[in-house]
Amino acid sequence: MSTMTRTTTHSHRLGPQQTRLGFAGVLRSEWIKLRTLRSTVWSYLFVIVLTLGMALVMSLTIANGMGGEMDARGMPDAAQTELFVQSSVFGVYLAQLVVAVLGVLVVTGEYSTGMIRSTLAAVPTRLPALAAKAAVLFVATFVVGVVSTVGAYFVSTAVYSGYGLSASITDSDVFMPLLGAALYLALLAVFALGVGTMVRSSAGGIGIVLALILVVPVVLQMIPADWAQSVVPYLLSDAGTSMFAPESMTGGDSMGAWQSLLVVLGWVAASATGAAVLLTKRDA
Amino acid sequence: MWRLRGIRSFEAMITAEGLTKRFGEKTAVDHLDFTVQPGRVTGFLGPNGAGKSTTMRMIVGLDRPTAGRAMVNGRRYAEHRAPLHEVGALLDAKAVHTGRTAENHLLAMAATHGIARQRVREVIELTGLESVARKRVGGFSLGMGQRLGIAAALLGDPATLILDEPVNGLDPEGVLWVRRLVRNLAAEGRTIFLSSHLMSEMALTADHLIVLGKGRLITDAPVAEVIAGGTRSRVRVRSPHASQLADLLAGPDVTVMRAESGVLEVTGLEASGIGDLAARHSLAIHELTPMNASLEEAYMALTADAVEYRTEALR
Repeated sequence: MSTMTRTTTHSHRLGPQQTRLGFAGVLRSEWIKLRTLRSTVWSYLFVIVLTLGMALVMSLTIANGMGGEMDARGMPDAAQTELFVQSSVFGVYLAQLVVAVLGVLVVTGEYSTGMIRSTLAAVPTRLPALAAKAAVLFVATFVVGVVSTVGAYFVSTAVYSGYGLSASITDSDVFMPLLGAALYLALLAVFALGVGTMVRSSAGGIGIVLALILVVPVVLQMIPADWAQSVVPYLLSDAGTSMFAPESMTGGDSMGAWQSLLVVLGWVAASATGAAVLLTKRDA
Repeated sequence: MWRLRGIRSFEAMITAEGLTKRFGEKTAVDHLDFTVQPGRVTGFLGPNGAGKSTTMRMIVGLDRPTAGRAMVNGRRYAEHRAPLHEVGALLDAKAVHTGRTAENHLLAMAATHGIARQRVREVIELTGLESVARKRVGGFSLGMGQRLGIAAALLGDPATLILDEPVNGLDPEGVLWVRRLVRNLAAEGRTIFLSSHLMSEMALTADHLIVLGKGRLITDAPVAEVIAGGTRSRVRVRSPHASQLADLLAGPDVTVMRAESGVLEVTGLEASGIGDLAARHSLAIHELTPMNASLEEAYMALTADAVEYRTEALR
């Protein structure tokens, strides 16, 4: 380290302060924090690669299957649209796990490193920091989600067009599911952020969120009671999937997309409320 | 102690009023009342577990007091419109995400208050972090972490600085730099509240001491006063007949401690008295050194009853 003799601190400010704490600044701060971590960059790249890759695999598999028995050219428009959507959003089933982990890590990474104390010392009212984290994470994940699913649509198109299939992205039956999938990823990230804030531990937060997505639905489906079956559509991952997936992928008895969105928003609201209450109450 | 107010450029003061923090059954900070004045370096001393860090955390609102309150410039920290301009705090050298570069950490902190990029460059330069500013903090030594923590504390050019063990892990040159820095900041009229477990460092850096033991205020006085009033002076005696001499010296007002083999530390007798006594019994003495009380000893004497974790208690 270089020698240092400077011990003055440039105190040209002896009068009133030039700048102050504000929500726009906190938003900027959280954006800097999000984009300057490698884990964020890798997670988002992984989401894009997964979604595009799965679209390629899915569309090739379906197209090959059709080459033999099915006559693609005779397929009704609605069925063609469904094929495109299926292939484009298929990767989201895997990408949701990446996004959930990222959402947890965005805040538990601060707890495990001690960064949270710097964050809360700079924003001592605390809630603006949480709100800014959520907002930045939501927007970034939504944008990455749109890039992924729209990209996946074009990958699918590249494969299907060779078989004479087509579905236009300007058709709302195509672009709404693509946007819906991106919206689900963004909301899931915010939900995971809330869980991470509540449990303050990476392992605990990731465990809870992944169990909710992967384990709970399976366990409920194995319970041979009516109540268990009627609860399933209200689970975060099932409602989330129903926001964008064609009926052939969700099993039929799920709710409509808008109703599912409301259920997902309910999960996010519960998580965010719990996080807000605990963050303001607890010592940092 | 009475200072004229209104003649300083900074009016920053830290006050604790009945400040109390309990963690379950355990009382970490017990009804603290003190004021940290501007224009001088106030040292914050106490054994491990005395409640120093908890007190500092309550001042900047990270911990919520169980009772009482801590104020900065007449307001709670969180009530200030620009907290980073009021108080710069180094509470934990590694309160930084290890995956982020030093520069990006500072940029993110600065952004909350709309502090310009230029100021980030200034504090990096000021703390000598230019060469590592674009490296990730995970690879930093403790000393570099301390410098980064100090850089972050200085971002808002605050009138009050709260530094918890700032020289921990610094090399001698770094220690000297911190000492000069805080002295200069105090000379500018700022309020400096500094904790350290290095008493010798405090003697060189602080003007005033607040000593804590088991969460309670033990002393709140100028450094010179603490040193003068703290302990009786000791005499170091080296003799081949140390144990015989120890028995002879023993008395109601005399404490004899065995420092090392053949060496005694005697409190309560003058060097001349010890020499005479030894001569009367024809015991050879190889060394007879009166030792002045140091701040370290004054501090040990002050906190002797308030040490939370004694060395013997360790495993």
